[in-house]
Amino acid sequence: MATGHDGPTGDWFGNSEQISRLPGKVFAATCLAATLFGIVMVAGLLVYVTKDAIRPLTANPGWFLVFFLTLVVPSTALLAYFGRRRDGEATVALTALGIPFFGLLLGSGVLMLFIDVIGIFEWLAFVAATIVAVGVILGHRRVRGRTSFLEELLVGVVALVGLGPVTYQFISTFPTLPQAWLIYLFTFGLGGAAIAGLLVARRRNDRRAGLTAFTALFVTVTAGVFIDPSTGITPPVWVILFTFAAIPTALYAEGVVRRRQGSLPVGLFFPFVVVAGMLVGAVLVDLLGFAGPQAWLDIQFLTSANSRFPEEAGIYPALIGSILMMVVVAISSFPIGVGAALYLEEYAPSSGPLSVVVKFIEINIANLAGVPSVVYGLLGLALFVNWLDFASGIVVVGGMTVGLLILPIIIISAQEAIRAVPGSLRQASYGMGATRWQTIRRVVLPEALPGILTGSILAFGRAIGETAPLLMIGAAASVFRAPNGFFDIFSAMPRQIYTWVGQPSQEFQYGVMAAGVVTLVTVMISMNAAAILIRNKYERRS
Amino acid sequence: MTQQTSDGTDGVSRRKFLVGAGTAGMLGIAGCTTNPGASSGNSGGSGGGNGSSGNGSSGGSGENLSGEVIVKGSSTVYPVSAAIAEEYMTNHDVNVSVDSTGSGGGFQNHFCPGNADINGASRAIKDSEVQLCSDNGVEPVEFQIASDALTVAVNNEADWVDCLSFDQLAQIWKPDGAQTWSDINSDWPDEEFELYGPASSSGTFDWFIENVIGEDGSLRSDYEPTENDNRIIQGIQGSEYAMGFFGFAYYEENRENVKAVQIKENADGNCVEPSIENAKSGDYPMARPLFIYAAQSSLEEKQQVYSFMEYYLNQAETDLVSEIGYVPTSTELRDENLSKLEEYSGN
Repeated sequence: MATGHDGPTGDWFGNSEQISRLPGKVFAATCLAATLFGIVMVAGLLVYVTKDAIRPLTANPGWFLVFFLTLVVPSTALLAYFGRRRDGEATVALTALGIPFFGLLLGSGVLMLFIDVIGIFEWLAFVAATIVAVGVILGHRRVRGRTSFLEELLVGVVALVGLGPVTYQFISTFPTLPQAWLIYLFTFGLGGAAIAGLLVARRRNDRRAGLTAFTALFVTVTAGVFIDPSTGITPPVWVILFTFAAIPTALYAEGVVRRRQGSLPVGLFFPFVVVAGMLVGAVLVDLLGFAGPQAWLDIQFLTSANSRFPEEAGIYPALIGSILMMVVVAISSFPIGVGAALYLEEYAPSSGPLSVVVKFIEINIANLAGVPSVVYGLLGLALFVNWLDFASGIVVVGGMTVGLLILPIIIISAQEAIRAVPGSLRQASYGMGATRWQTIRRVVLPEALPGILTGSILAFGRAIGETAPLLMIGAAASVFRAPNGFFDIFSAMPRQIYTWVGQPSQEFQYGVMAAGVVTLVTVMISMNAAAILIRNKYERRS
Repeated sequence: MTQQTSDGTDGVSRRKFLVGAGTAGMLGIAGCTTNPGASSGNSGGSGGGNGSSGNGSSGGSGENLSGEVIVKGSSTVYPVSAAIAEEYMTNHDVNVSVDSTGSGGGFQNHFCPGNADINGASRAIKDSEVQLCSDNGVEPVEFQIASDALTVAVNNEADWVDCLSFDQLAQIWKPDGAQTWSDINSDWPDEEFELYGPASSSGTFDWFIENVIGEDGSLRSDYEPTENDNRIIQGIQGSEYAMGFFGFAYYEENRENVKAVQIKENADGNCVEPSIENAKSGDYPMARPLFIYAAQSSLEEKQQVYSFMEYYLNQAETDLVSEIGYVPTSTELRDENLSKLEEYSGN
C-alpha cells in the first residue's frame, strides 16, 4: 500500500525487485488445491453413497418435474427475493424452517426412546425423584441461606443419593399411577410450556405475557391429546413432537415478531411455502401416477430390524443401540477427560522433580490418542468382560470401551482449551482475592468451555463411527431387537453396516449398506450441529 | 421490609390457590389412574408395549418365553442362523442375536468361555476345543443342520480350466506346490496363480486342509486370506489367473461374476459341478456338513435356548435353508436331531 509513497525515496528493499511474489502465489495455489482436493473427495464419496441409497434414477422423470415445480421453484424464488431485500429476512426464513425440522428429528429420537427403551412409569418415577432431590436442595438453600460448603454438599448428597432413589422406588412400586397420556402431558407438555412461559416473561419483562404464552401452549398440547388415535397421532407422539418441534418454533416466531414491531415478518411464512409445496407435490404425483425413486433409505428402513431380504432390512435396533452407546460414551468419558485435563493444567506441579512425572504422563496420553482402535477393543474385552465379568456385547461395555478410546482425545483438546485461557485472567482473579478453586470455577472453566466442547464434539463424532472395538467386545452382527436398557445386548450402526458389506447379495453390499451409511452420517452431522449451536451460545456469552 | 410484607400477603393467596388447584387436579387425575403391575397393557399409547415386555421378564414359564439366545461362530452358518432367528422372533418374545466370528474364533473366544449359547461351525469341533470347553464346564452338543457345496471358482476369462481333481487342488494350495498354471497342466498358461482363500480362523480353511490336502497338511502362506468371502470374489474378478474357494451361497449370488470349477475326487472320476442337487445326492465331492453346537447347560437351564433350538432343527429341514444356498437336512436327520435335543435337555 505504501510502496507508491516509499518508492521514490529509493531505499525500500521492494524496489530492488529481489523479492519475487511468485513463491507466495504458488504456495497459496497449493493450499487451495489441497483444500479443494479434500473437499471434492469427501463430497464425491458422500454423493456416490447417497446416490446408491436413494437411487434417483429409478424415479419417473415426471416425479422430479412435479416436485421441481411445486417445491424447488417457489421456495428458491422466495429465498432469492428475501436475499435481495437484504434485511435478514432470508436468515429468518431458513431458521424458521430449520428449527421445526431439527425439533422433529430430536422429537422422533426421544419418541423412539420412549417407545422402545424407557418405560413410562420408570420415567415418571425418574422425574419425580429429580423434582424431590432438586426441591430439597433448593428448599434447604432458601431456608438456611448460604451456609457452609460442607453442609450444602451433605444436603446435596443426601438428596441425590438418598431421597431421589427412595422416591423412585416408592413411585415405581406404587399400586396406582396416572395413565400414560397424563404422564406424557405433565412431564413433557407442562415442562415445555412452563419453560417457554418463563422465557417469554423474561424476554418481554412481563409476567402476564409469560403466563399467556404458558396457558396458550399448555391448552394446545392438552387439546391435541384428544385427537383420534386412529389418525396415527397418539398422545405420546403428539405431546413429544409438540414439545420438541412446535414450542421452540413458537418461541422463535415470538422473538422475531417482538423484534420487528410494526413490519410484517414475512420470513416466517417460508416454512409454510415449503410444506405446502411438498403436500401439493405429493398429491399431484399420486394423481398423475408418477412413481418416486425406489430408495433403500426410507421410513421402512429406519423403523424395522435387519432381515435376510434386502427390501425388508432396516437399521432401527442399531440406531437405538448407537444412541444408547453414545449416552454411555458421553457420561463415561467427558467428566473424566475434563477432570484429568483440569488437574494436569491447573493443579499438577509444573516445576520440581514431580513435574517430570507429569510430563511423562502427558506424553503417554498423547501417545494413547494414536493407539489403533482394535487395541482398545481388546482392552475393553479384557477389562470389562473378562475381569469385571460384564456380559459381552452389551451397551455399557461397548460404550465404556469406546469411551476409553476417545478419552485421550478429550483430555488433550481440553488441555489445549484450558491452556488458551490467558494467564492475565487468572492473575486478575487471584488479585481480587479469589481462591484457586474459585478461579477455576468462575474464570477458567467458563472461558475454556467452548474449546473443550469443540474437542469433545469431534471426539464423539469419531466414537459413533467406531467399528473395530465393537467387533472385539462381541457386539453381534445381527440383533433384531433394540436394547431395552444399558445392560442389554446391542448392535451399533457401524457394526450393522459392516455386517451388510459381508453379505453375499449385491443388494446388501451396495444398496442397504449405502442407506446405512447415509443414516449414520446424518445422525453424526445432526449431533455435531446441535453441539456446535450449544458451543456458539456459550462463546457469545463469555 | 415493605417488600417482604407485600410478598407475604401475596404468598398466602397464591398458596391457597395452589392448594385448591392441586386438590382439584389430584381428584381429576385419580379418575385416570392405572395399575402398572396388573394391567399396564391397556394404559394407552405406547406404554402398553413397555409394560408387556416388563411382564414377560417376570413370568418366564410355559409359552411365555423371554430372555436372550446368543449365537456365535462360523460365517458360513451365519446366514442360516440369522434367517432362522429372524423367523423365530416374529412370534416369540425372545431376543436372539447372531454373530459371525469364524468357527474357531467362536469356540475359542465366546462359546467355550461360556459367553454364548450356540456356536455355528463349518467343520466338526476339534479335540483341543472340546478340551477347552470342558475346562470351563461347557459341554457342546453337536447338531448337523445343513450341507454346503464348497465351491472353487476362477475368473470368467479363464477358459482353459473347467474341472480340477483333489490332487490338482492340493498341488495348487499346499506349501511349496505349483507356482504357475502350467505346472499343473502344460497346456495351461505359464502365469502365476493369484490365490484367495479363507483365513485360518475359518472352518472352511480347516475342512479344505483335512479333506483335500491331507490330515496333517497346511495351506501355502502366500495367498490372500480373508474373513470376508466377498473379498475373495472381488479378488477373483480382478485377475484372469486368480482362484479361490468359498461357500456355495456366495457363488449363488455371484454366478455372473465368477466361474465355478467342476470337481472330481481323483483323476479318473467324473467331473461334477457344485449345486444343491449334487451336494444332496452326494455326487459332489466337496460337499461338507454344517453344524451348530449348543451348550448343554444352556439347553437344560434356559427355556428360550431349548425352544429356539427346537425351532432351528425343525426349520433346518425346510426350503428356508435351500433358499439361502445350502442343502437342508433330511427328515431322518431332523428326527435324529430332535431326539438328541430331548436327550440332552433333560426334558
